[in-house]
Amino acid sequence: MIEAPGLRWKANGQAALSGPLLALAHRLDDRFVALAAGWQAEDHRFPTFLAASVLEQNDWFRSFPQHATFPACLDPAEANLATFTDGQPVDGSGQVHPSALAPIRDVLTPAACYHLYDHHQGLAFDRPRYFTTSNTCFRREERYVPLERQWSFTMREIVCMGTAEEAGAFLADATAEVDRLTTAIDLPLSWALASDPFFRPSKNPQYLMQQIDPTKYELMFEDRLAIASTNLHHDHFGRAFSIQRDGEPVRTACIAFGIERWLAAFIHRYGPTGPFPQL
Amino acid sequence: MTPPEVRDALRSWIRAHNPEVPEDEPADDTPIIDRRYLTSLQVADLLLFVEELRQAPLDPSGLRPGTFRTIDAIHDAFFPS
Repeated sequence: MIEAPGLRWKANGQAALSGPLLALAHRLDDRFVALAAGWQAEDHRFPTFLAASVLEQNDWFRSFPQHATFPACLDPAEANLATFTDGQPVDGSGQVHPSALAPIRDVLTPAACYHLYDHHQGLAFDRPRYFTTSNTCFRREERYVPLERQWSFTMREIVCMGTAEEAGAFLADATAEVDRLTTAIDLPLSWALASDPFFRPSKNPQYLMQQIDPTKYELMFEDRLAIASTNLHHDHFGRAFSIQRDGEPVRTACIAFGIERWLAAFIHRYGPTGPFPQL
Repeated sequence: MTPPEVRDALRSWIRAHNPEVPEDEPADDTPIIDRRYLTSLQVADLLLFVEELRQAPLDPSGLRPGTFRTIDAIHDAFFPS
């Protein structure tokens, strides 16, 4: 298990960062924002909650139900709140005993870029558009590892919305730019073909499609830890969110960086206190 | 079926499932996934159609990248001469 100054691991699969490790996280994000500036990507900041209906629009819940985390609230009726307070709100093991819950309509962001498709829903573009956004993302897992597999983590994404050629060129350029960066900082990394962790993959047409048309590549640290990924979505989000380019569903592609996993790679490569290379 | 008949059957299936495909498309070497003539929602149905054409089952776990890129690629992968 990784231990480093500035890392405090929480039993619920989340990490608190401070000091030199937090400073490195900021420098990494700044470097990715600088990368995004190469496309004049427009920066966006979105909330942590995402309307569940947005993910339903692209069938996310049927593909990745195992990862979903929902914000839940008590039904606000006074009698229901009294039932909650009169009981034992939280027991000795830390388990909450809620009374009736209010309807759940939101989900905690599972990937930063979903907000961008929702944000541009119904729009029509006449030129390629580039965006960047960062969010705290949540993925429920069976087990957690500090900085490597967390319930909540930080994801920075750069997204292209354009024609098929523009989306393809973006991924080629982004891959080349990241290769330049990783060569300069001397990390043992390589790109590998990947597929998303679909629930019941053999029954999921999107999984089948990924087998015959690879659209996801992961940047692997020591062949075991994906610290970034490139993803070609074809017109999946263009159709789902009615975003058009020259009268056709827009093609989209993204590159995503998992900040905590970059920290893990740096610690494994340079030790818990560094010195870490310039970015 | 002869190779041209297989290719024409595949072409007809794609056209039948995509009314927006232009008159002279897809050619044998048209990238049908890149052009979105074949989407994820249609892949499973096309697999079943290929099984019908070749009169033999396919193993989905044996699918490889590129085998559905063009009509030629489908033919070469699943209809060995």
